[in-house]
Amino acid sequence: MAEQQPLDLILARNLMTVLEVPSFLVGADGHLVFFNEAAGELLGKRFEETGSLSRDRWNEIGPVDPHGNPVDHTGMPLRVALREGRPSHGRFHICTDAHTIVEVETSAFPLVSNGDFHGALVVFWQVEQ
Amino acid sequence: MIVRYWGVRGSVPVADAASLGYGGNTSCVSVELESGPRLVLDAGTGIRKLGQTIDPAAGPIHVLLTHLHLDHISGLLFFAPLFHPEADVTIWGPPGPGDLRQRLARYLSAPLSPVEIRELPAHVTFSECEPEGWRVGDALVTGTQVVHRGPTIGYRIEEGDAALAYIPDHEPGLGQDLEHDPAEWISGHALACGASLLIHDAQYTEEEYRGTRGWGHSRIADALTFAQRTEAERVALFHHDPHHDDETLDAIAGEARAEWTGDADLSFAREGEVVELV
Repeated sequence: MAEQQPLDLILARNLMTVLEVPSFLVGADGHLVFFNEAAGELLGKRFEETGSLSRDRWNEIGPVDPHGNPVDHTGMPLRVALREGRPSHGRFHICTDAHTIVEVETSAFPLVSNGDFHGALVVFWQVEQ
Repeated sequence: MIVRYWGVRGSVPVADAASLGYGGNTSCVSVELESGPRLVLDAGTGIRKLGQTIDPAAGPIHVLLTHLHLDHISGLLFFAPLFHPEADVTIWGPPGPGDLRQRLARYLSAPLSPVEIRELPAHVTFSECEPEGWRVGDALVTGTQVVHRGPTIGYRIEEGDAALAYIPDHEPGLGQDLEHDPAEWISGHALACGASLLIHDAQYTEEEYRGTRGWGHSRIADALTFAQRTEAERVALFHHDPHHDDETLDAIAGEARAEWTGDADLSFAREGEVVELV
């Protein structure tokens, strides 16, 4: 039988499915386990098509510099949330499935319940030029 | 494994004569294991009558609380073994802020109660559920957090080939496509998967659910879809709404059976009913 995901991930995913703000969900091991329809529109791919993504595969999307070259992601909000277990906010560029470079702002929140760390919920939005 | 329903009602006990066919006591189910120890699932008002049938000195008693809403703990102070100095009672419950004893003491203390936890004559131990599961006799007990308001556990008890899944307060359909979403993302699915008996929340009709969505309970249609996904062998719908008298529940049960396309034996739990799982 498939082991149940932690309840806070299930609840976060349920919330994200009805949100219009792009958002994605990352498990404790850094795998992307879900992104919502709004995120799919921005990224140019739907979760139903991609399914879960490994950290390496997810890194292909970003962060990148304005020319699309990979940049150090040590201080990126998601990494901070995963590494330090605290919320973090930042601005950077990502590369969509159509190879378009988009500047986004991101807020990442660690998901911790009963002292157990289960991952992070990340919301992001395109910076208006 | 012998399962007996001592309370099947949700939310608040009812004493109306028109509701006593299904029963008016709130959640309480006893489980007699082949290997001896006695398990009690929830301490709603049904636990009072159960307590009168137990020899308190006959061995350890394990009370497994799914959560601490009043309809699941209000019978505790009327559970006779707690007032017997030879009784050995372990109360299991969900993790949460503060230890379990402290949280229960908010109910078992003044001004809500004339008796305090520290005054109980029995030897009482309070334990939060262990994520990896634990053994009671030869049975393996697993508790997993499920979708309800506040920290809530669903239980699976396995002994030999028999497996009981008990998820009396549960709204797995909240924001979820129960028919199509992957099983690992459905709250409670792993607990109930292939169980010999699934006891599951089915408090609301479709019409009632329009006004109660998000309260932590299932509409009957969602309970049926969930049950079908789990492929449990038997399904007992539980936590009947206090406003549903026998006539209403009979009508609801008739409609549910007409809609039910699963292979499992579908029933609406009744107080006093006994189910043997082998």
